[in-house]
Amino acid sequence: MTAVLEVKDLHAAVDGKEILKGVNLTIRQGEVHALMGPNGSGKSTLGYVIAGHPHYEVLEGDILFNGESILDLSPDERAKLGIFLAFQYPVAIPGVSFANFLRAAVSSVRGYRDRIREEMERTGQFKEVGSELIPMREFRKELMDTMDRFNVDRSFARRYLNDGFSGGEKKRGEVLQMAMLKPKIAILDESDSGLDIDALRVVADGINKLVADGMGALLITHYQRILNYVKPDQVSVFYNGQVVLTGGPEVAEMLEEKGYGWIEEHLEELQSEKIAS
Amino acid sequence: MTTKTMIKQTISVAAVKAISDRYDEPEWLRQARLAAWENFVAMPWPTYKEETWRRTRLTGFHLEDFELPQTEVATFDDRQHLPEDLREALDKIDSAGALILQDGQVVYYEFDDSLARKGVIFTDIRSAIRTHEELIKVHLAALTPADENKFAALHYALWINGAFLFMPKHLTVDKPFQVLVLQSAGVANFHHTLLVGEENSEAVIVEDFIGSRQGMSDSVSEVFTKQAARMHYLRLQNLDESAWNFSTQRASAGRDALYRQLQASWGSKLSKVWIDLELEEPGGHGELLGLYFPQDHQHIDHHTNQNHRVPRCTSDLLFKGALDDHARSVYQGLIRVWPGAQKTDAYQKNDNLILSDHARADSIPGLEIEADDVRCTHGATSAKVPEEYIFYLMARGLSRRTAVRMIVQGFFEEVLNRVPVPGVRDKLEAEIAHRVGIE
Repeated sequence: MTAVLEVKDLHAAVDGKEILKGVNLTIRQGEVHALMGPNGSGKSTLGYVIAGHPHYEVLEGDILFNGESILDLSPDERAKLGIFLAFQYPVAIPGVSFANFLRAAVSSVRGYRDRIREEMERTGQFKEVGSELIPMREFRKELMDTMDRFNVDRSFARRYLNDGFSGGEKKRGEVLQMAMLKPKIAILDESDSGLDIDALRVVADGINKLVADGMGALLITHYQRILNYVKPDQVSVFYNGQVVLTGGPEVAEMLEEKGYGWIEEHLEELQSEKIAS
Repeated sequence: MTTKTMIKQTISVAAVKAISDRYDEPEWLRQARLAAWENFVAMPWPTYKEETWRRTRLTGFHLEDFELPQTEVATFDDRQHLPEDLREALDKIDSAGALILQDGQVVYYEFDDSLARKGVIFTDIRSAIRTHEELIKVHLAALTPADENKFAALHYALWINGAFLFMPKHLTVDKPFQVLVLQSAGVANFHHTLLVGEENSEAVIVEDFIGSRQGMSDSVSEVFTKQAARMHYLRLQNLDESAWNFSTQRASAGRDALYRQLQASWGSKLSKVWIDLELEEPGGHGELLGLYFPQDHQHIDHHTNQNHRVPRCTSDLLFKGALDDHARSVYQGLIRVWPGAQKTDAYQKNDNLILSDHARADSIPGLEIEADDVRCTHGATSAKVPEEYIFYLMARGLSRRTAVRMIVQGFFEEVLNRVPVPGVRDKLEAEIAHRVGIE
């Protein structure tokens, strides 16, 4: 079954201030949906709300994953369904090694933890510590293979999570996590920002490989630049907390040519068209 | 049926004399005990007016609640015959020697003969008084005197035994020496640690403090790190959480010497721990590491001094603690640079991670500098687990509990990866995992 994430008339606020003002959007597995918009339009907020950030309050509307609402699910439950948020600014967590963290995350998302817990409840016998994790040898091999395939240096495994990482390394790290966790739908929040051309190629290449493997991506970006490397199936324009225009790749080209100012000037037309359609 | 009446021996000058009589102690030691007792009597009980006691109250502490150790303990000749928990504790570390004391009596002892032939002395202090009286006489109370504080005075009046290590010149022993200090319920125990590293020697000592339910531990340690020697002292305080714990510790570093200490304060109801580093000759380097993770109503207080008395010494202190429930911690530290101690390079850092709204960490770092060509840095932090960290990990599929556990374990990593003995590191990790609650 092809997974579908649908955002329906979503209104959300942070600290009492409404940021999302009726967002409608659909992301399908295997497709790239680019979401473009000026700074401060609420694009990142949309990513956080889909991932379940507790700081944001949903006022109205719904988010459906395969037709079922995920609004009541915690962030980890959403991750287990196959939803992934690649952060614009991944936090650095000192002392937690990339490999240990990723092993715990992979084990959780693939259900090792839940299976062990069920087994312990069924049999009444405790399992040794560590049995809730994917076997070390299996994990290491998969991690090394994935690092090679996605052009991430093997030294990442031993380093502390994003600690002392350059901007480019952080973004590669997000792609590596995505490649290991194999989400059905990924929201990539400005995964292209702050990258030089080489790092951009690595990140874009990673996204393309995962989409080819069947991942659906919501590519949140300010610039058209990454779309030279990752071809979108759909492009939506985000403005002032709403999607104001959705179309094919030609929308991105038009934006590149006319700029966000054009959207502002034609806002009323676009909105009435949307209502008409 | 016979009924045996136990006469409870309480803390008094009679008890002090009785210890000297029981062990037929040499005159100098007898006199030292009595002098210490006089110190103890003369010194007032601490009040909050003293800076070191401002944040730690002894409410509910009564000396008369504790007995002095009386009963004989079971002894073992063979490691295999030890109770399982003790055997396991020893087996975790591949050691050069092991000593288990209970309430000051030797329960078990093993030591590599080849090291003894090279001049290493590793034994309990009581035995060392018989075999090497001069060495004990020279070093005992030479670093930490009996008038240091009221608890040190009490210690020197009533101590029965402790651990003694003497490292001869130019010898390195890679494997650690291991000491288990067991304390019976309700007992006041006065463990003494005396470690002497002669010129250019190197040794690692691991000491575990265990037990003391409803009891009191009043320990003193003295570590001499002589010229170019390297002493690594790891103290793991795993006392019962109903125990009162007082500890006065001091180490000296000679010319170009390295002294490294870890204090892990897990147990006790209340701990008051003084740790002093004396940099006495140029080129000395000292590292003080600390870990604590109080829960429930535990109260853990560390008071450190980095004393730079001479030029060109370096010291580096890092104490990290997590606090849960209603726990409290106090960290008070001073870097003191004496006049003329130029080219001093000293660092002091205390970080606290607060896991509960009811927990509280007080941190008072300090500098007192009387030289003008020095580099001294200090800092303290106290913060809750950042919600952004938790969200990031949860967005990767970890439950909130697992996320917090990883962050807490990561927080301690900065200290753990400086612990030189893998077996000790494993034990510390296990204790942290236990405290943070494995899912």
